[in-house]
Amino acid sequence: MARKTVLQAFVIALGLGFLMACSLISPETSFAATHPEGVGAGRPTCSECHTTDLSKGALKPYAAMDHTPTFVKDHRFQAGQDANSCATCHGQSFCTDCHGGKVPMKPAVRLSDSPDRMAPHRGDYLTLHKLDGKMDPSSCYTCHGRANNDKCRACHR
Amino acid sequence: MKRRTHVALFATLMSATAFGQEVSLFGTTMAEMWKQDLPGFAKASYTPATQYLGIDATKLGSERLSLHLFGWGRTDLGEVSTIDGTKSGGYLNYGYLRYRFDQGNAELKAGRFTANQSTGFEQVDGFSARTDLVGGFTVSAFAGKPVLYKTVDPTAQKNYDFQRDLIFGTRLGWRIAKSGEIGLSYLQDGTKAAKDLTIPSPVDYTRKQVGADITLAPVSSFDLRGRTVFDIASRDLAPGAVSPSRIAEHDYSATVKLGQVAISGNFAERNFFAYFAGTNLPSLFRQDEKDLFKGWGGNITWNTPWAIQAVADYRHMHRELYGDVNRVGGELRWANSERKLLFGAAGHYVNAANVRLVDAAAPFRSLSHAEGRAWGIVNQGKLSLSVDAIIQRYRQANPYLNGLKYLHEVVGSLGYQATSNIKVSGDLSNGSTPVAKNETRGLLRAEYRFGFGKKGGQ
Repeated sequence: MARKTVLQAFVIALGLGFLMACSLISPETSFAATHPEGVGAGRPTCSECHTTDLSKGALKPYAAMDHTPTFVKDHRFQAGQDANSCATCHGQSFCTDCHGGKVPMKPAVRLSDSPDRMAPHRGDYLTLHKLDGKMDPSSCYTCHGRANNDKCRACHR
Repeated sequence: MKRRTHVALFATLMSATAFGQEVSLFGTTMAEMWKQDLPGFAKASYTPATQYLGIDATKLGSERLSLHLFGWGRTDLGEVSTIDGTKSGGYLNYGYLRYRFDQGNAELKAGRFTANQSTGFEQVDGFSARTDLVGGFTVSAFAGKPVLYKTVDPTAQKNYDFQRDLIFGTRLGWRIAKSGEIGLSYLQDGTKAAKDLTIPSPVDYTRKQVGADITLAPVSSFDLRGRTVFDIASRDLAPGAVSPSRIAEHDYSATVKLGQVAISGNFAERNFFAYFAGTNLPSLFRQDEKDLFKGWGGNITWNTPWAIQAVADYRHMHRELYGDVNRVGGELRWANSERKLLFGAAGHYVNAANVRLVDAAAPFRSLSHAEGRAWGIVNQGKLSLSVDAIIQRYRQANPYLNGLKYLHEVVGSLGYQATSNIKVSGDLSNGSTPVAKNETRGLLRAEYRFGFGKKGGQ
């Protein structure tokens, strides 16, 4: 009986919480599902067109989204905070090229006809990984160690 | 997820695309080929074929409802090329329904998706929700069954599957216009910690993490972003053992833009005991070493008036157990205005002269190397050509290199855009590695995209 009362109270609290949360939702219009203008190939500089505007919703200058070499390398920060602004131009499959959880070949082979793109493990990485693994195994852990272990497991048991 | 559940889910989601008013199907078919002739091994020919397939179906009865699917399958047409001996395989990378609201960037997802709004980067079979709130706040959450992968042995696999029964995470952020954003996140992966089991497991696959992230972008010429992650799980330590740091990670980058010049700096610190918590490959990502990584560096990028982007970069890496490494170099990129011609060249030198315990015979020198890379892309009409060449030169005989001093790989690719939706290309690569002193590989690729999709990996 007491359990049922607790459950009812929990459901009521959850319902009230949900209603309250709905009233708190921002009235701002959502990001466009798709970038209105076609963006050319290569790394875009958002601030070339979005001059001094703040990105609506993200509330950051568009320049903070310029695809500089640092942005490309550190895009995890942007993706963690503003994944929906990324989704305006990139489909999920773009991320999956590298961050697939389980992939049949290394990204450098998959993207071997696009040398302008950052693709991990270009060249003979089988050798280089022994060096990188000594220098900074935490950089490997971004993609391996909890997923994409199939090749690692062949030697590292 | 069991294979038949996989198939049922995939079939259900596929059939749902029939309701979509805008359906985009995209895929890549790849066939690789190489022959192997190694001393001590039988000659072998490998011809693995791989099929990537994705579907984006929008307006599924409602403007706001969409379906997204992506996965791959592979098979060996010749001899088995995989390390685990399987001739064929496949995987569903993601498959989810998404409902986008018109306001507040609110959205709901259900199915298999990737969650990265918390401290981790997780594949989840479950649901997620996010929205912007009034006052600049944002909130997001996800929960479900974690996507499970293979561990090293079947005994460990049972334990791994058992411990990782549930994953959930949430993030609360606060955005301040013309200032930036701060966020606080929580991630719990698994509810059955190894130490709490009836028979305690030697390996703990569960995690509890709290993260704090920040972006400061008060003006368009400056931004600082980064995060700190804490491991907050209660863990058993050997009696008398020194308690390791629970800070899994500090990682911060700052960029200042001065006209066409951008100067960036980065600092990262990772404590392996906390950072590698939850690994399913503990023999490689070793928490027991209680090691520490610290790295700092930066780069200067100059977008010249001649359409050349020049980058100079430096990074210092420090490991408590192994020593210090410095990496320095630069890169040039050039593209003409129509982007029909693109060229790049890069050179880096890695000085690992102080790295210890790598090779007893040459403990202080064997990791240092120089690397050069040059690439180019030419797009002319329906034809495209790309070349990518990488060479590494090691300072002296490296015990890992089987007597080689130079390693290289050159990849050439020729493509033909048959229609606006179909492109075929072929790659030929040649390289020298410690495993195969002369390696030549071929690859055929067909890419296609049909439908209304306007994005997805341009």
